[in-house]
Amino acid sequence: MSDLSTWVPACKLEDIEQEGAIRFDHAGRTYAVYRGPDDSVYCTTGLCTHEAIHLADGLVMDYEVECPKHSGAFDYRTGEALRLPACENLRTYPAEVVDGEVRVALG
Amino acid sequence: MDDLKYGTRNKRGDWAPNQPIETAPLFAFPPRLLALAKWLPHYFFPWNAIFAASAVAYWAWVIPPVETMQTLGIGWIAWLYVVNAVCVFLFYGAFELHLYVLKRQKNRFKYNGKFPAEQKSKAFWFESQNLDNVLRTFLSGVTIWTAVEVCMLFAYANGYAPWLTFAENPWTLALVALVVPVIHEFHFFCIHRLIHTPLLYKWVHSVHHNSVNPSPWSSLSMHPVEHLLYFGTAFYHLILPSNPILMLYQLHYAGFGAIPGHVGFDKVEVGEETLVDSHAYAHYLHHKYFEVNYGDALIPLDRWFGTWHDGSADGEARMQERYRKRKEKLAARKARNTIGEAAE
Ligand code: FES
Repeated sequence: MSDLSTWVPACKLEDIEQEGAIRFDHAGRTYAVYRGPDDSVYCTTGLCTHEAIHLADGLVMDYEVECPKHSGAFDYRTGEALRLPACENLRTYPAEVVDGEVRVALG
Repeated sequence: MDDLKYGTRNKRGDWAPNQPIETAPLFAFPPRLLALAKWLPHYFFPWNAIFAASAVAYWAWVIPPVETMQTLGIGWIAWLYVVNAVCVFLFYGAFELHLYVLKRQKNRFKYNGKFPAEQKSKAFWFESQNLDNVLRTFLSGVTIWTAVEVCMLFAYANGYAPWLTFAENPWTLALVALVVPVIHEFHFFCIHRLIHTPLLYKWVHSVHHNSVNPSPWSSLSMHPVEHLLYFGTAFYHLILPSNPILMLYQLHYAGFGAIPGHVGFDKVEVGEETLVDSHAYAHYLHHKYFEVNYGDALIPLDRWFGTWHDGSADGEARMQERYRKRKEKLAARKARNTIGEAAE
């Protein structure tokens, strides 16, 4: 787990729909924060690795996010690219919920 | 009309047909005569008949006399641009008004549950898909369409293109008329494959792919280079024994025919009972999955080249298999590079 000093508050858990995602911008970078079907939270880089499109605008189903542009898909828990045309994996970051607040470690 | 009798809708509201798309039986081997006979009326009606009729109407009422077209003049060229623009406005506009503005069909049979006007995107001029698409259609789409039309008519008027008459060569011209859609499909597949190469995609074709949720105005929303390649389909008639009306049919097949593929609905409801197939699903899947269905289903080119997706689970599995191979190749390349770097 990353150094505690790198944990950044991203949003409230209730801000993200179950099986949903939101965009989170921090220090000039963009991320996507996901809430899984079991209320677990995850964080990945915000842009698709195929073209620079915000994944938070995509469809989240189970533990997969589908890119809104060409339907490339990723497992947002591991960042693994799952479907054409996205071939490169996403970078992932630790995320957790503390007192209803979602925090992500961006170090 | 209950669209769920014909397909399913996912949680995002996207509708997909139950039946996989079939390629036309035109190139089946051994020939499937019964299937061919059943399919043939769909080959003509309604779409191809509309584009052929519009070509005849143009020849009767729009195209200037041959003597006028022997020299290039601003008057007749501007006239053609205006008529093309008005016809595009009326034809495209009718679909837009019916399906997207008045939403007469709501989202029944709509592949993508959302309407483009609901989604702003920085990919578009003025962050509006509709405005961007309309401007591209009229600024470069209709302009290049008209330019190609003028070049071809000038060539006919001056004897640079083979011009057969219907009176003397009815059978040859009937055959050419029959293959107009086949020429279009072949040409479209080739240029489409070309503009999906990385560099051309980035600079040219990505403009068209910005419309992930295509609507009627997306049909001709392209980069000017793509417009030129796309309407270049008329240039086949510089060498084909043909006729200006068939050349116009070829152009209209491209210009007006782009609509069904981008209409965004699988079926257009006409009245209470009648459904008109748009045959758009193959091209919708291309917009959605990007590396499948470079052509439509008239010639099975995508089948032959392994890029066919018919919307079924099998189609999905084939696409995933291609993906697995691609990833293996990429991983192998990465491993080679890492070993190479370590050795240096
Ligand atoms: S931009 Fe995400 S799959 Fe193409």
